[in-house]
Amino acid sequence: MNQTIVSYIEHLTDKQFGFGITVALFFLAVFLLVNVMAIIGGLGTYAERKISADIQMRQGPNRVGPYGILQFLADGVKMIMKEDIIPTQADKLIFTIAPLLCLSGVLASLAVLPISSGFTLSDLNVGIFYLLGVTSLVGVGVFLGGYASNSKWAMLGGMRGASQIISYEVPVTLTILMMVMLAGGLSLNTLISGQTALPHGWYIFHNPFSFIGFFIYFIGALAETNRAPFDLPEAESELVSGYHTEYSGMRFAFFALAEYIEVFVVCAVATALFLGGYKVPFNVGGDGPIGQILQLVIFFSKSFALYYVVIWVRWTLPRLRVDHLMVICWKYLTPIALFNLVGATLWVYLFEGRSIYLILKHFAEAHMVGGGH
Amino acid sequence: MFLKFLFYISAFLTVFGAISVVVTRNLIHSCVYLLFSLIGVAGLYLTLNAEFIAATQLVVYVGGIVVLLLFAIMLTGGSNLKVLVNKFGLESTPLMGNLKTYIFAALSGLVLAAVLIKILFSSLLKSSTVSNNFFTTVEDVGVKLLTDHILAFELSSVLLLGALVGAAIIARPQRSTEVEE
Repeated sequence: MNQTIVSYIEHLTDKQFGFGITVALFFLAVFLLVNVMAIIGGLGTYAERKISADIQMRQGPNRVGPYGILQFLADGVKMIMKEDIIPTQADKLIFTIAPLLCLSGVLASLAVLPISSGFTLSDLNVGIFYLLGVTSLVGVGVFLGGYASNSKWAMLGGMRGASQIISYEVPVTLTILMMVMLAGGLSLNTLISGQTALPHGWYIFHNPFSFIGFFIYFIGALAETNRAPFDLPEAESELVSGYHTEYSGMRFAFFALAEYIEVFVVCAVATALFLGGYKVPFNVGGDGPIGQILQLVIFFSKSFALYYVVIWVRWTLPRLRVDHLMVICWKYLTPIALFNLVGATLWVYLFEGRSIYLILKHFAEAHMVGGGH
Repeated sequence: MFLKFLFYISAFLTVFGAISVVVTRNLIHSCVYLLFSLIGVAGLYLTLNAEFIAATQLVVYVGGIVVLLLFAIMLTGGSNLKVLVNKFGLESTPLMGNLKTYIFAALSGLVLAAVLIKILFSSLLKSSTVSNNFFTTVEDVGVKLLTDHILAFELSSVLLLGALVGAAIIARPQRSTEVEE
């Protein structure tokens, strides 16, 4: 089992690196991952516009580059060139620190993202728990951004955002706890290694409770990333644009980038927890470089499929009302998640952790043997 | 080498944050500094190889306590403390207490200092750094919690359930009394 990407490269090349080279390699990997994620975040805005255009039968951005794919670079240039405005009545320290808190919370969660069996920056043995901890910084950032702007709209948006993120953490955490119990470990690699590459071994089809759990996780993740239909913190028809009303230029871009990267992170976590992660069917390519590339392709295609669903949901469903939002969380999702947790515990106890596929297969074999008599 | 870097950064963050919490006048600012101080403490746990406690620190304090404090400060409107001048012409902030609270604070400060000096003194006399080779994994924590410390575990769960029920009762709209009236 590889602890970090550096130890994987050591394992691959049969060498022992010194301290300097280890730090340099690690820095390189981090640099690569953060930049790729920034590009994914940027392309996320492009995908959002293009898919929304498709749903509404429009063209979408189509002037910058082929099919308008360089639109996000043009947006970035625009953001950098914009005047950076800090309102005079704003709390300057917190106003400047809030977007950074959001972005650093999201970027810190990339440290445990299991992109392939080799390319995991660090396979912490408390991986998923760490991820829950650092992503909660986003809630603080949203709240402080709303507070520091000293504007009614931003304040309301920030309060809604913080209360929503805290509330939806409960069902999401309970669902993750259920998956941790099935896999028997908090490390994301442990969670993936309990599954197989083909759908019959995925945790989503492990038992009825984990099937429900996937949808609870997905709804909760939508709410935690402030995506529609739960985008009340930035409801433009009520709150101008919510907690980042007063932000302009790169500070606004940090909030937007944090949101799009966080959507990718929650999709990646859903892939790792429920959809078999980076496992390649029939273990093609093994553990070598080709296998790693195949694993990357598998992982990213699953995550992007979920990313598409997130955007699709946003442009299909209308927004919820704020009290309905809390009712859904506390009166429906949380009790269902608790029931799920108990149910999955009983399942693991009664069937000794076997999945529904194995049980059906067992019965089918018994039936065939019985038919032979 | 790396652990030393991590230790210095987190120790600086902890101490700097803790001092700033006390020194700054703006309550929201001190809450943000508290956030940094708590993150620094999580880093200190990491240098001791206690990954689980570090992650717990992040989940509980950063995600829960700090947001709770921010909500409390904002809903009570305590962020705009005005600078007041007392009868000696010195600046004082309101709610800083009277003679009684100062006496209590001084006494408890003395007790705390005595405890700290005792701990520091014994460790200074030995002047040996104990190399730690615990590898506390989550399994160990879980097994310990459910075997040796089962009473504390169950009691804390009862406490949390009580808090939950209490919060539900306080937050409940009083429909039954309206019907009676």
